Amino acid sequence: MLMTHNNPVIEVRNLVRRYGRTDAVDGLSLSVPAGRCYGFFGRNGAGKTTTIKCLLNLLRPTSGEVRVFGMDPAREEVAVKSRISYVPDYVAFYPWMTVRDALGYFASFRPTWNSETERALLEQFRLDPRQKTSHLSKGQRTQLALVIAICPEPELLILDEPTSGLDPIVRREFIRTVIGAYQDGDPGRRTVFVSTHLISEFEGLIDEFTIIDRGREVLTLNADAARARHEKSLEEIFVTTLQPHGVTA
Amino acid sequence: MLFQLNYKSGKAVYLQLVDQVKAAAASGALHAGSPLPGIRPLAEELRVNRNTVAKAYSALESQGVIETIAGKGCFVRANHSPFKKEVRRKLLADTLDGAVIQAHHLQIDKADFLRVAEERFDALEHKRHAANS
Repeated sequence: MLMTHNNPVIEVRNLVRRYGRTDAVDGLSLSVPAGRCYGFFGRNGAGKTTTIKCLLNLLRPTSGEVRVFGMDPAREEVAVKSRISYVPDYVAFYPWMTVRDALGYFASFRPTWNSETERALLEQFRLDPRQKTSHLSKGQRTQLALVIAICPEPELLILDEPTSGLDPIVRREFIRTVIGAYQDGDPGRRTVFVSTHLISEFEGLIDEFTIIDRGREVLTLNADAARARHEKSLEEIFVTTLQPHGVTA
Repeated sequence: MLFQLNYKSGKAVYLQLVDQVKAAAASGALHAGSPLPGIRPLAEELRVNRNTVAKAYSALESQGVIETIAGKGCFVRANHSPFKKEVRRKLLADTLDGAVIQAHHLQIDKADFLRVAEERFDALEHKRHAANS
């Protein structure tokens, strides 16, 4: 399928995902243009991970539609996934693999793998390729996951609470790497979709965002417009929006 | 060079960068011909989107504050606004209108306002001298 540059990279329309009688996502719509860094903000349990799992065909929507690069991720799974990288909040590797093995394993699924980026990032993170993945710290596992996410040069990088539970230095380095190594290629085709509740960390990176609460969209705005309108940081907007007597614009 | 971003100010991040480069160039902290950091290193350093830095640089370029030399990067220009004198006066007048209104609400009269303006000019001059010595 041909794609023009204006087509959104992610399109979610009236998405509903139920677990038993609970509506984890309840009629969510959003649209992410190419080349943007899109923030997906919500409290724990707001429905962020469920939405992301629907984008990745790890969960089937109860109703509504998701499109990634204009395709249905359930019907064209390989075509969609070959252009995406995903870093989940909890990263696990096969424990018997070394860092080198894990890199080779993930590279084997990918049409493209930038070995130069791999080398540079391993050095930057001081990851030893001979180390067993089971001996890595949480921060190192996340760093390795980021290397694995960036080397295939995907058009869409999906990050689900990527920095929660990491120390501040690792967090900063993580974000710098997304800005630096990931966006180094063709910037118009490097889209980031990041879900987080640690908004201040990503404050400068986000061009546009959606706040969701109880599975529904509460606010979608361009970041600069949001700050100008509310004269607040995105984090403060998030907090006041989700308080019982939320902000009025 | 030191940039300070304030996300709480309500001011677009790229405009904060624009104003800080302009202030640094006016105060002599950045001389004509000084290089600006590249887009990637500055974006990484400030942890802002590259688009934000690129947008700030292109705004500075269109205002004649910096110039891009292909393959070398961005440099501060010697004062060379691309606008005619009357346009520059108009741009300044627009900015000053805000200050005049603020003065009214702070009960600062014209004479006092002009004294403050003179002080601010001198302060900038002083900074420039300090930067040069």
